[in-house]
Amino acid sequence: MQKVEGSQAPARAGHLHKVLGVRFLTEDTYVIRCERGNLQFQAGQCVNLGFPGAGVNREYSIYSGQKDPHLDFLIKEVKGGIVSVQLKSLKSGDNVEIHGCYGDFRIKTPELGERPYLFIGTGTGIAPFRSFVRSYPGLNYKIVHGVRFVREKYDSQDYAAGRYVSCVSREDGGNFRGRLTDYLLKNPVAKDALCYLCGNRAMISQTYELLRSQGVPSDSLFSEAFF
Amino acid sequence: MKVAISYPPIVNALGQKAMVSQNRNVQFFKEPTYLLPVVHAQAATWLKNLGHDVLWDDGNAQMKTFDGWLKDLVAWQPEMVVLESTTPVMKFYWKTIDRLKEALPSSIIVLTGYHSMRVPEESLENSKADIILRSNHVDFVLSKMVPFIAKNADWRETLQVDGLLFRGRGGLIQSTGNFNQVEPLENSPLVDRDLVRWLDYAYENGNYLQTPGTYATSVIRDCMFGKCTFCRYNGPDLTFSMMPVQRSLDEYQTLIEKYGAKEIFDDSGVWYRGKDAREFAQGIIDRGLHEKGCYFGINTRFEYLDEETIKLMARANFRFVLLGLEAADEETLIRLNKGYQSEHVYRCLEWMTKYGLHPHLTIMVGYYWQTQEQLDGTKALVKDLMLKGLARTLQVTICTPLDFTPYHRECIEKGVMLTTDYDDHDMSRLIVKTPIPHDRYYVAIRQMYSLAFHPLFILRQLRFLLTFRKRDWQFLFTYGWRAVRRVRQHIFNLTRHQGKASWEAPSDSKAKQPV
Repeated sequence: MQKVEGSQAPARAGHLHKVLGVRFLTEDTYVIRCERGNLQFQAGQCVNLGFPGAGVNREYSIYSGQKDPHLDFLIKEVKGGIVSVQLKSLKSGDNVEIHGCYGDFRIKTPELGERPYLFIGTGTGIAPFRSFVRSYPGLNYKIVHGVRFVREKYDSQDYAAGRYVSCVSREDGGNFRGRLTDYLLKNPVAKDALCYLCGNRAMISQTYELLRSQGVPSDSLFSEAFF
Repeated sequence: MKVAISYPPIVNALGQKAMVSQNRNVQFFKEPTYLLPVVHAQAATWLKNLGHDVLWDDGNAQMKTFDGWLKDLVAWQPEMVVLESTTPVMKFYWKTIDRLKEALPSSIIVLTGYHSMRVPEESLENSKADIILRSNHVDFVLSKMVPFIAKNADWRETLQVDGLLFRGRGGLIQSTGNFNQVEPLENSPLVDRDLVRWLDYAYENGNYLQTPGTYATSVIRDCMFGKCTFCRYNGPDLTFSMMPVQRSLDEYQTLIEKYGAKEIFDDSGVWYRGKDAREFAQGIIDRGLHEKGCYFGINTRFEYLDEETIKLMARANFRFVLLGLEAADEETLIRLNKGYQSEHVYRCLEWMTKYGLHPHLTIMVGYYWQTQEQLDGTKALVKDLMLKGLARTLQVTICTPLDFTPYHRECIEKGVMLTTDYDDHDMSRLIVKTPIPHDRYYVAIRQMYSLAFHPLFILRQLRFLLTFRKRDWQFLFTYGWRAVRRVRQHIFNLTRHQGKASWEAPSDSKAKQPV
């Protein structure tokens, strides 16, 4: 192996991916698009993403589809954070360091057609669901997305009409005013739905209890906590 | 309800006791190390708070013989006994369960642990256990299940708590399906230290520089990363749960001010990172806990903590930082899903040692693909790090497939397992086919442990004294002699099969890659 002394350690070429663009969706949320290289993944998986040579990385779900020619990552800047702040400064032509991919938050055998899939996420927790939708055309899905403000309906235009429901808690203008748990309370989930939950821990544990109370079997619930 | 949370003493043919180590691994040692099973301790606390009569029954930490433990437990007449097992002691547990059932026929036996939760049917088939928990959230499940059983005599027909496999009416096996993967840890009580007899665990632990030491209620369950293939905290059944920073700080304050703890270790798979890590360290400082003479320790990962965070943690009196190095070569790091690059190891350790932390490296050898070149690379990296003073202590283990982790399943699928006997999974010898003779790995273990006696390593420790940090003096004069004793024990345990014809380990001439 290559020994490195001192504070600067270069990233290995195999882990570097060229940034193709950074697209801001709000003042603090952005999408990094980068070259895919040889990276193969399954929708729902994540990678470790870091500023080249910084020696610190974080896990991010892949936002693009399995067959897309590039890799997208949906990132929200964490106030007082390190990695999300560093990544925000990237420009086209820069490199980003990627390790992975991994994770089991996948649709192992996609059932195309009638079987309903319900994707429930808060904020940037929608990232793996966009990857599902792009990777498996024909999926009978519905996304329930919890956000605080209308501007956080990240790329909602990417989803087919009627398949995306925004639950906006702090202002009007979404499909539903309030938390996504309030929406699910008023709109009970089909008992045969396969439900995927991604986002903050409190939402996941509350939603799990809610869906169980509505008769959704525990074997049909899949969770991925990211924050 | 009378509930015993029990750990029977387990002694092998060499007179060694089964000790639980980091990440709930079980190894056999003569010199005791007693680790508080934190989640089960939370479960005990929760059940007590709910009004149940709880017996904290750790036969190991309470220095009982097996017969003494069994006699005492039977005399207490529990209505329920909760056990925790893992692969190398599964057979022991199945036998113990059957003995318990003979002595306490009306007691309900509940089995928990990462092995049985992944193949629950097996334990129902091989023992008279009544209930197998499929969930790692033992505290949450028991807090619902025990009150239900206490109130419902017909529970075998009506039990509906998620995440269980149990013997229903007429012995019919019933499943309540999957469990809630993300639980609000703030709802599980902090460990009742008196209930679990915390002093039983306060002295005999090789990682403590000062005593009494203790384990904090883990802030992360089980691991925020959770992707390393060999680790029991990885699997499609798991994600992570996290406890709020302020709640953990409250516990640290109690442990220091009420109990006089001098070293607190959080055995979360990986501890907080980023903003939460800084908030915790700053909270320790703001509460003045950094000046109480208590050291703090954590597990973390390479590329998780940045320099500013490490600096703040050092100010807050963190000392012991355990990092999984695993291997030096890129191929192994990728195959294990480590998610970091070996070049960044130096930078991270430089930050830690610069601010006075004591990094402890955990290394593994004997992956089924590990070549001599890869093994040599790991040895060279470890030697370089130790002699440069970038790591203070190390621990080398044989990578053993356990608990149906992804690595374990991979070994089965690839056909590289050399045994199907769970007793052989005790981490004392290699149990997978490897491309080079097993002895080469045992030699490597011996060589890496022997670095503790290398003149340059000793010289480096003496040079640390010039910093006049109390912890460095303690390290050499308090910890040093203990370390020597432990190093000898580790070498004995991990290399006693060296030179013996173990399994059909290939000789040099037959060595080949098994996949």
